[in-house]
Amino acid sequence: MTAVVETEGLTKFYGTRRGLEDLTLAIQPGEVFGYLGPNGAGKTTTIRLLLDVIRPTSGRATVLGADTRDTRVRARIGYLPGELALEGREKARDYLEFLAGVRGGVSRGRIDELAERLDADVSVRMSELSKGNKQKVGLIQAFMHEPELLVLDEPTSGLDPLVQQEFLAMVREVRTSGRTVLMSSHVLAEVEHVADRVGIVRSGRLVAVEDVAALRERAVRHVEFHFDAPVPKEAFEGLPGVRDLVVEGTSLRCTIDGRPDALIKAAARFTVVHMVSAEPDLEEIFLTYYSEEEARHGRAGA
Amino acid sequence: MAALVRKTLREYRRALIGWTVGMCAFFGMYISIWASMKDDPQTLSAQALAKYPGALRDLMGGLADVGTGVGFLQTVAYQLLGPMLFVMAASVLGNRAIAVPEEAGTLELTVTLPIDRRRLVLDRWIGLALGVLVVAVVTFAVIAAAASGAGMGVPFGRLLAAHTGLFLLVMFFGTLAVCAGAVTGRRQVGLAVVGVWAVAGYVVETLGRSVDAIAWLRWLSPFHYYLDGRPLYQGWPVGDYLVLLGATAVLLMTAVLSFERRDVGV
Repeated sequence: MTAVVETEGLTKFYGTRRGLEDLTLAIQPGEVFGYLGPNGAGKTTTIRLLLDVIRPTSGRATVLGADTRDTRVRARIGYLPGELALEGREKARDYLEFLAGVRGGVSRGRIDELAERLDADVSVRMSELSKGNKQKVGLIQAFMHEPELLVLDEPTSGLDPLVQQEFLAMVREVRTSGRTVLMSSHVLAEVEHVADRVGIVRSGRLVAVEDVAALRERAVRHVEFHFDAPVPKEAFEGLPGVRDLVVEGTSLRCTIDGRPDALIKAAARFTVVHMVSAEPDLEEIFLTYYSEEEARHGRAGA
Repeated sequence: MAALVRKTLREYRRALIGWTVGMCAFFGMYISIWASMKDDPQTLSAQALAKYPGALRDLMGGLADVGTGVGFLQTVAYQLLGPMLFVMAASVLGNRAIAVPEEAGTLELTVTLPIDRRRLVLDRWIGLALGVLVVAVVTFAVIAAAASGAGMGVPFGRLLAAHTGLFLLVMFFGTLAVCAGAVTGRRQVGLAVVGVWAVAGYVVETLGRSVDAIAWLRWLSPFHYYLDGRPLYQGWPVGDYLVLLGATAVLLMTAVLSFERRDVGV
């Protein structure tokens, strides 16, 4: 299986300032890859290198099997810039039709269909588009030609929650049809529900690539059980992954690292009347991960 | 016609209409003044003009025969004001080919389209050239009609030769603006380079005739190749025009090659 996006030692310096250093990454077909990091970490630099807007200082990158310099594959890519600029007296629809034409055309009614879905007004001049509408026009142009690869830089910025949901649904549809998405964000919460994997970039370096399912498995979960009769504490002590165990009469509270399997099986020996399990906060693990990495780097550097 | 050329012309449309109307009004007005002045020899007589300082007369192209139809047309339309207006129009539009959209950020999406960088610069330039050509054709028609209406007695062939020179001069500066934008991506650079080269070039060409110290600089002035052959009087200065054409081609080549190599929007 050939990767849709593949980079090797990809490095970009702006003069002496580091934009991105030594990025080696492969994104597989049908995958939704979340690219995470704080502002200025190198997300946009990576994306602009993949789209050949800027040129690498060293290293190489291929997109859809071709060198990034090859303009022929561009029609099969949908790109949403991080700072989308739309200006001029041209109507949004005319601009969309221009972009569609250059990329080889889109099916009739496709622009209207997407505009309706995102509740975007494409009949106004570009200079009169509101911030939210600009972002919607940007999404329409990225999705309209049903590209094999979508590269979206901070796609949800400026969108209201309802439209964000619609956008996430569109991303899921893209994945279902076997196409690939690379989307950046500075918060995990925005991508965790659609991304299969996340890459964490910080100060121009990729510090981790994590499977979201694995991340979720590693997540710390707060759990509460209520039984019909008091339970002995000993029955739950020493279970793998169970911490902070508190048993008070008929109720049990604890946190679990990773799989809840052992706890569930232990609880099943009693009669459970009620159970509460909070959604794991990936952001929390994520930040823990971050600070550990940071501390290690700090020590290594000292 | 390529989609990007069509889009470029759409972007330029309003500006092109504005400049065309403005320049036609300007030329039409000055030429119509001739009709009322030619019968009054006092205003433009040699004695009257001798009162002007020599350097000023040089700057205005000599003014030796401004009392004749051809001299008047050269002075008001083809010497200074016409070229300056037209050069300004072309350089503003040329700047909008790369530098302005790059600074605004709208170029980012364009460079990610399936159009290679060379083609992108070329298409933008073709859009500019076609736009400037339309302005040139319309202004030529207006000048030719007004001049013959006012009875200036300038042969059509000479007028065509002068106007072609004007078009080539303007395309040189328009391409210079495209080139400055393609190399640097900064709109201020484009305007500065065109402004300095045009003004200095004109001054050097006109004053350089009588100031030996700067005479050699005339070779660097695009105006030299436009004015020196006196096309309105003597017809086609083919060699000079080929120099303008060649210089424009070099600028365009520089623009294409350097835009292909650099980062956009950083």
